[in-house]
Amino acid sequence: MELRADLFRDKRILLVEDNPRDEALTLRALQKHNLQSAVAVTRDGVEALDYLLPAADHAVQPLPQLVLLDLKLPKLDGLEVLRRLREHERTRLLPVVILTSSAEERDILESYRLGTSSYVRKPVDFAEFTEAVRYLGLYWLILNIAPPAQ
Amino acid sequence: MAGVMEDIRKDYAGTLSGYLIQADEEARLHAHELGRKALTGGIGVLDIVTLHHEALASLGEAASLPLDRAAEFLAESLSPFEMSLRGYREANAMLSTANTSLQQAQAATEAVNRELEAFSYSVAHDLRAPLRSIDGFSLALLEDCADLLDEAGRQHLRFVREAAQDMAALIDGLLSLSRVTRSELRRETVDLAELARNILAQLRRAAPGRNVETVIADDLFAEGDARLLRGLLENLLGNAWKFTGRQAAARIEVGMTHAGRERAYFVRDNGAGFDMAYAAKLFGAFQRLHSPSEFEGTGIGLATVQRIVHRHGGRVWAKSEIGRGATFFFTLWSTGHGA
Ligand SMILES: Nc1ncnc2c1ncn2[C@@H]1O[C@H](COP(=O)(O)OP(=O)(O)O)[C@@H](O)[C@H]1O
Ligand SMILES: [Mg+2]
Repeated sequence: MELRADLFRDKRILLVEDNPRDEALTLRALQKHNLQSAVAVTRDGVEALDYLLPAADHAVQPLPQLVLLDLKLPKLDGLEVLRRLREHERTRLLPVVILTSSAEERDILESYRLGTSSYVRKPVDFAEFTEAVRYLGLYWLILNIAPPAQ
Repeated sequence: MAGVMEDIRKDYAGTLSGYLIQADEEARLHAHELGRKALTGGIGVLDIVTLHHEALASLGEAASLPLDRAAEFLAESLSPFEMSLRGYREANAMLSTANTSLQQAQAATEAVNRELEAFSYSVAHDLRAPLRSIDGFSLALLEDCADLLDEAGRQHLRFVREAAQDMAALIDGLLSLSRVTRSELRRETVDLAELARNILAQLRRAAPGRNVETVIADDLFAEGDARLLRGLLENLLGNAWKFTGRQAAARIEVGMTHAGRERAYFVRDNGAGFDMAYAAKLFGAFQRLHSPSEFEGTGIGLATVQRIVHRHGGRVWAKSEIGRGATFFFTLWSTGHGA
């Protein structure tokens, strides 16, 4: 199945990633599947929460279809971001995929305990990484039926 | 014990009566000797005291006896008990000092372990990230700037990518090695045959083109940590699978035999084998007896196997001949090996 841009005109991915090289590589992988224009990027946990849970006097962005969340982030780490997202009515059901270098058992367990939708380890081999991103896009933006807005 | 008691009873009354008449050194030594006999024979202080009173009663009216001398005799016969009590107290004091330093050592070990854990954790995360960049941007160069590079230049980039991926494999190997030490050891009954069948089925799925005959003994139960024992078999069977890669009719056998009085489990293959002259090196981290052009690998597998076996208080060793396959043996909970 091919991913076409018009299939997700209004669908968006929020990438939470602090490493600019990893960001460039992830965007490159998304671009290969025509997904790049659908991505917003935040570079630490606080920024990500501001984006998803804006303060009352800030402009409210529509929620993305999918959050790709790194674990190791400056200020607030990924697990803490996830915990707070699950505490809020607005983001309680939002699909969040942990996308990280770590395959530590306790990271995986803790992520699921806190309610991640999925956990994916970034492969070192970029060809495999691109493939993983393609699967993620296919699954979460097209195949998956998102929870209805409340 | 009753026999010892009877002997002492007779001897006691006789020696005591002699002592009451004449308090000589010989009788005193004999009282001490009787006490020692009682102590080693498992007879208690109260028994001696009872015995003493019986003996006194048999010797006549209390008023007519030199009671202070009798008390001296009793004290002498009890002296071995007193000495042993003192020894016990001293040993106890030493033990409690030893315990304190053991507790301190344990606390220090735990601190080191926590540090190690934090360290391997950041190794996992921080060392892989730059490798991903090295690989990813090399591939980006190959894709975007292919016409600016000649074939030699493209080959260099492919080598850069290979090196990055090798290093990623090394880091993963080191991590799994350290996980063996970090994880808590559980003890349960594990069906090694079932594990082996699982692992081999997995290897078969990953390489459906290979023709490998597998023979697994029934009833291969062991006591140990299921997850670690799986890691152990994964490495041994992975090796057997890999080093039979050039065999037209590969064969892998998993079974149990006896090494002296112990059960030794084994994994046998008919693959490339190795030179026994280097057998001692086999279990060291990063030690390999084959070049990557012959067989790929990182050399961390058998080091992991050895750690797992040691944590289960066992031994591991191998027998082989070049070109004639290899057999890896291991025992668990061997006598004379701590966990
Ligand atoms: N079944 C086997 N047959 C022949 N050689 C083996 C076998 N298992 C291990 N070896 C030798 O021991 C070395 C170390 O094994 P291991 O630590 O598992 O590393 P790796 O599999 O990554 O090479 C191997 O490189 C190989 O030379
Ligand atoms: Mg190996």
